[in-house]
Amino acid sequence: MFMKSKTILLALSATALFALTATAADTVRYKSRPSKVNIAGTSTAHDWVMDGQIIGGFMEVPKSVEFDQSKPTLPGATGGKLAAQVEITIPVTSMNGSWHGMDEPMQDAMNAKEHPNIRFHLLELTCKEPHAAGTPFQFDAKGELSLHGVTNMITMPVSIETVDANKLKVVGKTPLKMTDFKIQPPVKLGVFRTGDEITISFEWLVARPKTPAPQ
Amino acid sequence: MENNETAAGPNAFNRREFIQNAASFSALMAFMGGVPLHAEETTNTPATGETHYSTVSAPVNCAVIGCGTQGREILTTLSRLPNAPVVAICDSYPAAFKRVKESAPTAETFTDYHKLLEKKEVQAVIVATPSHQHREIVEAALAAGKHVYCEAPLATTVEDARAIALAAKKAIKVNFQSGLQMRADPQRQFLLPFIRSGATGKNTMARSQWHKKQSWRRTAPTPEREAALNWHLNAATSPGLMGELVIHQLDMICWLMNKRPNAVSGWGSTLQWKDGRTVADTIQAMFEFPDGVNYFADASIANSFDAAYEILSGSDSAVMLRSTPEDGSKAWLFKEVDSPLLGWEVYARKEQFYQETGITLMLGASKLQKKLKAGEPPPPAITSLQHALRAFIENSDLIETQVKNYVTNYGDDDAEALRGFITGPNITKARLSTAGWQEGLDATVLALKANEAITKGQGHRVTLDKQMFEV
Repeated sequence: MFMKSKTILLALSATALFALTATAADTVRYKSRPSKVNIAGTSTAHDWVMDGQIIGGFMEVPKSVEFDQSKPTLPGATGGKLAAQVEITIPVTSMNGSWHGMDEPMQDAMNAKEHPNIRFHLLELTCKEPHAAGTPFQFDAKGELSLHGVTNMITMPVSIETVDANKLKVVGKTPLKMTDFKIQPPVKLGVFRTGDEITISFEWLVARPKTPAPQ
Repeated sequence: MENNETAAGPNAFNRREFIQNAASFSALMAFMGGVPLHAEETTNTPATGETHYSTVSAPVNCAVIGCGTQGREILTTLSRLPNAPVVAICDSYPAAFKRVKESAPTAETFTDYHKLLEKKEVQAVIVATPSHQHREIVEAALAAGKHVYCEAPLATTVEDARAIALAAKKAIKVNFQSGLQMRADPQRQFLLPFIRSGATGKNTMARSQWHKKQSWRRTAPTPEREAALNWHLNAATSPGLMGELVIHQLDMICWLMNKRPNAVSGWGSTLQWKDGRTVADTIQAMFEFPDGVNYFADASIANSFDAAYEILSGSDSAVMLRSTPEDGSKAWLFKEVDSPLLGWEVYARKEQFYQETGITLMLGASKLQKKLKAGEPPPPAITSLQHALRAFIENSDLIETQVKNYVTNYGDDDAEALRGFITGPNITKARLSTAGWQEGLDATVLALKANEAITKGQGHRVTLDKQMFEV
């Protein structure tokens, strides 16, 4: 009885391993490269921006998908849906403020010690068609955004354009409310109260391994 | 870069930008009786009391190598910072540890700096040994991945100074700071846009003096120890008064003028302390800047009159800068009768200097005036050294955090990409302003060449080539 269970378990494990291998073989993974991200907000004094250059993570798409901007549709996408897997990580401490003295209050408000990263997990990526030839592909990205340890579902428009044969630029922007993520809008220097509304914008560069040159 | 430009870049300030810049605006408000918007000026107490945010970076474990006079001063200053625990100290003379017990009570003691650098918990090293010993210690510390604060001058030979600068330039994952401490002083930083924007008119000359009667000799129980302790009286190991004292003023003048001299001539004599020393006790040096502007520096340990100050003169006004441990940094503006009215000076605080009226150029001057009027004691002065060490700790934490962020997400295979990230605008704007390896090299080379001119003969002139400042 015990031996039989073990055999079934081994068989299942082998099947799962094969399935995983098959999936990895059918997809291509684009890894993060130094990028641009900023959080813009308001205050009782003036507007402020925090900039960063680090967006970690990856984007994985089926190998059949070709980001050919000259075509009216996205080859490889099914019914406008792109079977992409995206995980994004932005270290809170990598963001620096344009307004002197804003970094620490913002990082403290986001509790960077306990929640060091802003995370995004993609659930659905829908291509807006028809695509205007020669322009970046436009998408609606639906996913889970985690800030300050609080996860909310968001949908934001993003565009994907080719930078070169192996590199893509993903551009997006979404308005948020700090209080939706249980972040108390910080007060700079005890005087200047920041507004609840912020906007996160990013230009995320991702690159796949270079295709070996033909012999 | 042109020979007459410093590492700080071209003269980028103008009056309009000075007004538009938020920090400068707050300075202007200070002149006019407003409250300057500066982190130093606040208690960081929120308006409603429901939120409180720290503006202090995470602690950085420090070690001090060299526990002599300057090392002791550094340890005392570090003990005042909330985020600079001293975990190790090193000196080749173990008796030195007794005198620093109070300021570093829990620090582990070492007589060999190699052993200290093996300690993983040591994140940052402050090198305060005799200047001629800096090179091998700084190179080893950088190679061990430690953040390094190297006291000024960087070294006592141009070759050693360049080697230190090169090692610091290559060590992109750590923070390197040269001990030109006045660069980190907010009072001096506050003056920079004011002077660079041309508020003194056309620059005509600069002058500095460092006067304090003292033997500069230290006593020790044995002749060997006494010889080691008095390395600065021996021309073979000492950069003289120019390298040990005037270097800070020299750096300040070049920084404020945003220029580097083309040549230097020097004079020096031993007039008071004829005790066998081979280093002059009274010196003068003339630095020739482009456009015919000269900077005259003198220093003496034979007379104390009028202590130390720097003066920048222009066609519209002169600015005098002074630093004392009691008062911190101060500056005054002396206007010509035919100079244009700036406006704010009508309301500014003034002090009398013999027959001249000095208009106070001081960050937070109006706030201080209010305190004094209310009969409150003035706040304790923060020394330039404290500002410099605070900046060193905060910048070290910043670099450590950002390198970790970068390497975690992108790896460290591409050293040039990492260099671009660390030296890029995003990190640069977050760094507190200090002197780095280039500024340290510039000031060290200038001071050593001036000392060479002083040592070689009366009025000996040394030409300063652009290549001397490159690594």
